[in-house]
Amino acid sequence: MAVDLATKSLLHDKLRFFITVSGVAFAVTLVFVQVGLFIGLMSNASLTIDQIDADLWVTSHNTPNVDFAHTFPETYIKRVRSIPGVARADNLIVWFMNVNLPTGAVEGTEVYALENFERWNFPQNVVDGNLADLRRGPYMVLDDSAKKRWGAFAVNDYREVLGRRLKIIGRTVDAKSFTTTPLTFMDYRLAQSLNEGELRGNTTYVLVKLAPDANIEAVREELRRRLPYNDIFTKEEWAKRSRSYWIESTGLGLNMYITVFLGCLVGIVVVAQTLYTSTMEHIREFGTVKAIGGGNADIYRILGKQALIAAIAGFALGALQAFALRPVMAGIDLKLIIPMQLYVAVLLGAIALCLSAAVISFRKVASIDPALVFRT
Amino acid sequence: MTSVLTTGVLTARGVEKHFTEGRETVTVLKGIDFSIDRGEIVALEGPSGSGKTTFLSILGCILTPSSGEVVIEGTPVNAKALAAIRKRSLGFVFQQFNLFPSLSAIENVEYALNVKGVKGSEARTEAQRVIEAVGLGDRQNFLPRELSGGQKQRIAIARALAGKAPILLADEPTANLDATVGTQILELFRALAKQENRALVIVTHDPKVRTIADRVVQIQDGAFV
Repeated sequence: MAVDLATKSLLHDKLRFFITVSGVAFAVTLVFVQVGLFIGLMSNASLTIDQIDADLWVTSHNTPNVDFAHTFPETYIKRVRSIPGVARADNLIVWFMNVNLPTGAVEGTEVYALENFERWNFPQNVVDGNLADLRRGPYMVLDDSAKKRWGAFAVNDYREVLGRRLKIIGRTVDAKSFTTTPLTFMDYRLAQSLNEGELRGNTTYVLVKLAPDANIEAVREELRRRLPYNDIFTKEEWAKRSRSYWIESTGLGLNMYITVFLGCLVGIVVVAQTLYTSTMEHIREFGTVKAIGGGNADIYRILGKQALIAAIAGFALGALQAFALRPVMAGIDLKLIIPMQLYVAVLLGAIALCLSAAVISFRKVASIDPALVFRT
Repeated sequence: MTSVLTTGVLTARGVEKHFTEGRETVTVLKGIDFSIDRGEIVALEGPSGSGKTTFLSILGCILTPSSGEVVIEGTPVNAKALAAIRKRSLGFVFQQFNLFPSLSAIENVEYALNVKGVKGSEARTEAQRVIEAVGLGDRQNFLPRELSGGQKQRIAIARALAGKAPILLADEPTANLDATVGTQILELFRALAKQENRALVIVTHDPKVRTIADRVVQIQDGAFV
C-alpha cells in the first residue's frame, strides 16, 4: 500500500473539503430536483396513456396531446374492429367539463369516459368503489387530487357536472393530467349526454388492443387506409407526443436545461476555484514531490484523485438532499422522480465536472519549478 | 577554497548558468568544476547571491546548466531524465523542511520511498529504519505540526536517507534551528552520511558546518575562490 497523500491532504483542511463537497452537492441537488420534477411533470403528461392497456390510439388529425382532444364520428370504431389483428377496440372520450361545487364556485374537470374501464385496466389505483358500477346510472368516480381544487368530498356525495347531478361512487389516487385539472371517470354514454352539442355521436379517441400474433405496423397501415382523416399512434409515440407538446409549448424543457446548465456551472466554478486555491496553497508540497523525483503525472494523480473524492462525496450528499426533498415535494403535490439512470448519469456528470475543474490546476502544476523548494 | 576536478560519485565540469532578466543576461555560475566522493562531506559556503543555491539546484538535477555537464555515478545527466535521476540517486534536505503537513513523520518518509518506486512493507520497513536512525522512533506517528523544528529537520534527513540515494544535498539545514539543535542535527547528519557511505553537500552560511565537513569550498560571484 502506498501512502495516500491525495486523500490525507484533501481531508487535512476539513473546511475547504466541506466547501468543495458543498459545491458539488449543490449542483447535484439542483440537477436531481430539476430533472426529477421535470420527469415527474412529464409522467403526468402521459400518465393516462401509460396506464391504459392499448397498443394503438386513433386520434383526430393533428391532436397535440391527450388532454386537448377533438371529436370525430364514433361509428369509425366499426372500421377499426373489422381489421384483422384487432383484438378489441373501444371509443374513449376525453373532455373538459364544468363542475358546480356546493360552495357555488365553478371548477373544471377532465372527464375520461369509456363503456368498460376494466377492459382497459384503467384507472389503476381505485381506492373506493367499483368501476363496473359506472354503467348503472348517473355516477362518477373522482380522483383524490380533486380535493385540492374542489374541497373535501366523499363517496355518495353529489356534484353537478354541466348542470346534472352525478353521484360520486368511488375514488382513485394518482390519476393526474399535466393540466392539474382533476380527473373524473364516467360512463361513455353519460359523458355524451352531458354535452350533446359536441359529443353526441362523437368520440375523441379509439383505443385499439391487438391480437397477440398481430403485426402492429400492418394493422396501423390498414387503419390509416380506412381512416385517412385520423392519426394512428402507437402507445409510445402518443405518450411521447403528449409530453413533447408540454415541453415545447411551455418552454419547460428549455427552462430545465438552463437551470441544469447553471447548476453545473456554479458547481464547476466552486470546485475549480477551491481546487485551484488548494493547489496554490500546496504548491510548495507539489514542488517537493517533484524535487524528490516525482513527475507531473504523480501530481496529476493526486489532483485527479482529490477531484474524484470530491465528486463522489458531493454526489452522495447531493443525492441524499434530493432524496430528503421527495416527501416535501409530495406534500405540495409535486412528483420528484429520480430513476436509476439519472443517478448513474449525475454521478458520471459530477465526476466529469470535478475532473474538468481539476484541469485548471493541472495546468498550474505543469509549470511548477521544483527549484521553489529552495526558496524561503 | 579550491576547485576540484576528479571523478567522484557526483562531478560537475565547467558548469555555467545564465539567467535572462528583462533585456539583460546575468551569469550566475562561471564555469565551475566540482567533484565529491561517497562518504565525503563538503560544505559549500558563500555570501547571499553568490550562486551557491543555483549550483546546488544544478547538482540536484533541478536546474540544467547553460553549459558544462554534471556526471552522477559515472553517467552524464540527460536533461530529459532529471526526475528519474533525482528519484534514483539524490536525497534532499531543505531549509524549510518541506514536510507534507497532512502526513505523519513516518508517512513523509514512506511517501518519498513510494515516489522512488518502493512500496508496501518494504517502504514501511525502510521508513522505520531511517526514523529510528534519526532518533525519532517514538515520534513516527506525529504530524509535522506536532514536532519541534529540530525534529522536523531530523524527519527531513530521514526522508533524504531513505532509499539509499548515494548523494545527499542539503540547503541551509540549520538555518531555522537554534544553535544547540543545529549542532545536534549536523552531528547526526555527519554520522549517518559516514556510516551509510553517502556523499553529502551542504550549502550553508553557518560556520558550525565547517566542523563536520571534510572539505570546504567557497563560492563568490559564481566562481569558486
